[in-house]
Parts: sequence; structure tokens; C-alpha cells
Amino acid sequence: MFIAIIPAYNEEKNIGSVIRNLLNLVDRVVVVDDGSLDQTAAAARAAGATVLGHKLNRGQGAAIETGHEYARIVGADFVIHFDGDGQFCVDDVGPALAALRESGADMLFGSRFLGNKSRLPFFKKHILLPLARSFQNFFVGVKLTDAHNGFRILTARALAKIRLVQDRMAHATEIVEAVKAHRLKYIEFPVRVVYRKYGQGFSEGMLVLRDLLLGKFIKK
Amino acid sequence: MLIIFQILFILFALFTVFGVWKRKRDGQISARAAWFWSLFWAAAIVAVLWPESTTLLANQLGIGRGADLIIYISIAVIFYLLFRLHIKIEMINREVTKVVRKEALEDNRNS
Repeated sequence: MFIAIIPAYNEEKNIGSVIRNLLNLVDRVVVVDDGSLDQTAAAARAAGATVLGHKLNRGQGAAIETGHEYARIVGADFVIHFDGDGQFCVDDVGPALAALRESGADMLFGSRFLGNKSRLPFFKKHILLPLARSFQNFFVGVKLTDAHNGFRILTARALAKIRLVQDRMAHATEIVEAVKAHRLKYIEFPVRVVYRKYGQGFSEGMLVLRDLLLGKFIKK
Repeated sequence: MLIIFQILFILFALFTVFGVWKRKRDGQISARAAWFWSLFWAAAIVAVLWPESTTLLANQLGIGRGADLIIYISIAVIFYLLFRLHIKIEMINREVTKVVRKEALEDNRNS
């Protein structure tokens, strides 16, 4: 079974079309409604998704882990992380899955830098993401061309090993750390990201560093 | 003669110690904690009544003034407590997430 997980917070506008497009490619779309204040859950249900509702807003990492737990319970073979606001391209899903299957790796990371498919804002492309990438390469020791890209596919094996405890945005680094710790095999795949909103800026990057540092002092 | 600050501080310290033992009686804190805070405030009263006493201790440690010693120690303790609080809040956050997640999955199973 191939499951798409969409962590969603106030995404009622775009989520319906994202789900309908995905349903052609995956067996089930699971939307984790992270305490949205709008009609995200209703819109997702209407479009044919399974909705898991967080009663309180817990952050993107928490929402993804809830989706993971669901996928473990139903015994998914593959899980894809997808964005609810339509910034990822559904056309990338099929080729990415095929590439992962063929490679025999445990996990696939989407990359905005491979293949030059994405048009990024200047500051993000030339300063923020290279900074995040250097930090990740240096401290985590996994060489990836992109850091914090939300497009990922996990196999059941990766799903069993990776347990996220970072509730907010630091989960992206946490996943890379887990891949390294469990010696999972991974591949990168070029994906297109269309910027509807700017997304995370420099101050959010600082919050990620804070969460990562704090996480070092907390027992799992 | 006592200056106004000394009187106010001693009243505040006594009031706080009274509160500590009230909490001890209600079972909110342990006997050890109650004694610790009692001794802490007793020491604070001594330091306020005889400021020179802290200078004696400070000189032993190579610090000129007693008031400086107290400020150094206070800042170190406050930073440590802030750090502990930060960790504690993050741990509570993670517990909250676990509860929210469990409920989300159970709601789905029941529907």
C-alpha cells in the first residue's frame, strides 16, 4: 500500500485539489489536520482523504509522526510526505517512487537543487538553504544537495526505524539524523517546488537550531 | 538601627518561609525542600542584617565585595533554572503531542 501523508494547518483553499490529484497515484491520502481553524478537515474529507484530527496545533513534525503511526498500523509499504498548499508537483510522485523501487534504498529525499527544476527566491537559493545544508552536512554528516525539503518517500523499513519527536520544523533534520543513525540507504531525486508563499525564513531557521539543541538534552 | 530596606526584606523573607511550611503541611513540597528554603531565607536575612558577613566569604574566594559574590551566584543559579524550565516545558510539549496523537488515531478508528 502506498500512502500519502499531508500535514495540514489552515489549508482549506488548496487541499482539495491536491488530494484529488494524489488519489490517482496513491492508494490512500491521509490528511493530518493539525488543529486548523478553518474547514481543512471537511474539505479533505469531501475530496476523499482519510482525516486524522489533532485537537490542538502541535506542529508539522508532530503531524507527520501521527501520519506515520497511522501508516504503521495499516501496514503501508511506502509513505510519501506531501504539502497541502500545492507547492509540490504530483507529476514527480510516480517517477520518484519508481526511482526508489529501482534503487532498493530505504528512503528518498526530494531535492530542489538537482536538475534545476525549481525556481527559488534568491535569498533562499543562494544564502538560506546553502547555510542550512552546510550545517546539516557538518553536524549530521549526511551529504544532501537540499536541506529541509518536505518531499520524501519512506519504505516500510524506514518507517519502522524513524520515530519523530521534534514537533515543529526541526523534524526535517531529525529525519536525516535518523537515516544516519540507522544506516538507512537513501537516494535523492530532483523535484519541482512552486513557491506560493515564501515559507520559512531566517528566524524560523534559528528556531530549528534552538529545537535541535534543546532536543539534545531530552531523553526520547 | 535598621534601615527600611532591611525591615521590608525581613518581613518578606519571613512571609515566604511561612508560605514554605504551609506548602509542606499541604503536602505540596517535601520536608527536605522546606528545610532547604528555610535555610536559604535564613541566610538571606543574615546577609541583609550583616552585609559584611558576605564580604568575608567573598574575600575567601578572591572576590572584593560580598554584594558582587551574591550577584554572581544569583545569575548562575537563575540561568541554570531557566535552562531546566526550558527542558521541562519541551518535555511537557512532547507529552501533550502524544496525547493529541493518540486521540486523533482513536477517533479515526471509531469513526
